[in-house]
Amino acid sequence: MSIKDGRRSSERRERRLGVSYAAPMGVWFTVFFIAPLVIIILYSFLKRGLYGGVEWEFSLTAYGQMFNPNFGKVLLRTIWISVVATAFCILLAIPTGYAMARSKHQTLLLFLIIIPFWTNSLIRIYAWISILSTEGFFNEILKSLGIIDEGLHLIYNHGSVILVLIYMYLPFAILPLFTTIDKFDFSLLDAARDLGATKFGAIRLVMLPNIRSGLLTAIVFTFIPIFGAYTVPLLVGGKDSTMIGNIIVDQVSKTRNWPLASAFSMILTLVSTVGVIWMMMSSRKEQAQKKNVTNQQKTEQNILDHHTTGGEA
Amino acid sequence: MRKTEQVSWRRAMHLVVAIVVMSMVLVGVSSCKKQGANGTSSDNKLYLYNWTYYTPDEIIERFEKEYDVDVVVDNFSSNEEMFAKLMAGGGKGYDIIFPSADYTSIMINLGLVEELDHDKLPNLKYISPLVRSKATYDPDMRYSVPYNMGASGVAVNKTKAPEGYARDWSIFEDSRFAKRMSMLDDMREVMGAALKHLGYSVNTVNPEELAQAKALINDKWKPNLVKFDAEGFGKAFSRGEFWVVHGYAENVFEEFPEDKWDEIDFFLPPEGGALSIDNMVVVKGSQHSDMAHEFINFIHRPEIYAIFLDTFRYPAITNTEAGKYTKNKPFYSAEDVNDNFEVLQDLKDDLQLYNDIWQDIRYVN
Repeated sequence: MSIKDGRRSSERRERRLGVSYAAPMGVWFTVFFIAPLVIIILYSFLKRGLYGGVEWEFSLTAYGQMFNPNFGKVLLRTIWISVVATAFCILLAIPTGYAMARSKHQTLLLFLIIIPFWTNSLIRIYAWISILSTEGFFNEILKSLGIIDEGLHLIYNHGSVILVLIYMYLPFAILPLFTTIDKFDFSLLDAARDLGATKFGAIRLVMLPNIRSGLLTAIVFTFIPIFGAYTVPLLVGGKDSTMIGNIIVDQVSKTRNWPLASAFSMILTLVSTVGVIWMMMSSRKEQAQKKNVTNQQKTEQNILDHHTTGGEA
Repeated sequence: MRKTEQVSWRRAMHLVVAIVVMSMVLVGVSSCKKQGANGTSSDNKLYLYNWTYYTPDEIIERFEKEYDVDVVVDNFSSNEEMFAKLMAGGGKGYDIIFPSADYTSIMINLGLVEELDHDKLPNLKYISPLVRSKATYDPDMRYSVPYNMGASGVAVNKTKAPEGYARDWSIFEDSRFAKRMSMLDDMREVMGAALKHLGYSVNTVNPEELAQAKALINDKWKPNLVKFDAEGFGKAFSRGEFWVVHGYAENVFEEFPEDKWDEIDFFLPPEGGALSIDNMVVVKGSQHSDMAHEFINFIHRPEIYAIFLDTFRYPAITNTEAGKYTKNKPFYSAEDVNDNFEVLQDLKDDLQLYNDIWQDIRYVN
């Protein structure tokens, strides 16, 4: 009985401590996330001010203006670029995460993945510009090898935008995949092989379903930032590489249509929300599956619990 | 019992930490505001709000020395950014702002600027009649004093470009430069260029004329352009990636090695284009109005204005006497800014005509 009481009061204590621990984060979150989001939502339903800003008058004009074939094309282009870039990120990240998880030098490899973050992203984009330019590093190598005579136009098109986006967001796909693959019990692969699966079949049928949550996180972590990309299409894109992020900036800084910019931001927020909800639901489903363990395991768990709590008290 | 005491003590500690953090955030926010908003007139300061890289340090230092005042310079990168800050109340602490012509007229119309006292500005006599005639929104300088007048032009890399190119806007029709050219990512500048090439005004609201300009850009210029670029064209030009770029002279030259400057052919197309005038205005309610007048007067002292011209290698257009004191050769000459160049006006609601066309140019292939 005393153990039970102690447990309950410590739970209560922890809950109370939780509130004060969370307070700074909560304030931060409210001031720098919720409040701006509310402003964006509000502005998207107001009338545009002639010289930027908004007039306090309810209006759905911004949402009406969004249904413009030009914006539709940019939206389709944004989706297309994001899907392609995300797909490549995931396809590259799965084998990378697998290799990392099976490697003896995990810390070193993890370190190598994180190192690029030490450099400002803008500088890394400019580095890509000097690699891809017509007079750039890559073309010079090809020229010195005698493969080409004139520099190829490798930059300022959709391809360069996708390439640099993949480079920028690949680590965001590798890290969650690595952590889930690392937790995966590799002896299951051997078991599958023993039962007659091919090597690829074992990975596809046994490993992939088991790293579902990591896969989902990787997709969400790459797709969302790529969907809202602004600097990459601006700097390495060509005359027709505009994405939604660029429209938002144009509407604020050039066209002075803040409600329209807010309405487009709403699309970005909506896409992110859907992604996060998808992630949360699937991880909840996974947890539910895990809870649904056999009686045998339940009993074992109960015994284990009893011993550990007893030991602590 | 001891345990609960400890617990409540710890809880209190955490609460204290949380409160301290929260109050630090709040104090931080409010102190920022204070600095911007309530400079009293006795503090011997002058707050300027200018374009990035547009106020030569030497001028500021000399003014500080001569008037024993502390000049604080804040920067903006677009008129829209400056104006948004001003409207949000963040511009109250500034004494002098440097808006472009269209925003100068907006600020005058909205009563955001103070009327100038010409008795305190004897150097206004050096402001050129040409600039005043172009500044149709305030020709008598009641509210604004021109800081600089200039225009965007075209830079050609002579080592890359084939001979015999047109030295006017039609250079962008030249398919020999295809995929080697860029124009500014700026609606009014590019539309202005096309309108002028067709012989129309840069401020036209005639749908027929605008449609012709759109067709010219979309059908003849755009196929040859790599992109519309206002950020990296100077760098791309110096790398040899772009051979022909539309932009401001200083953005092109500053990226190019100085010993190779004679490889650049920079010209202002004779058909004309969008003329930009940046002005100095004293913000309404300025706490340092007298000092602000002194500063505006100081800028237009010819030997001081010459420092500004030398820094950016502008021709002496705005100040009639400063040309006598300059040491560097300007990137283009004052005569290049002919009568065809027009100041961009604030088009109010008609701006939407331009926005719609610009969307068709920029967002669709």
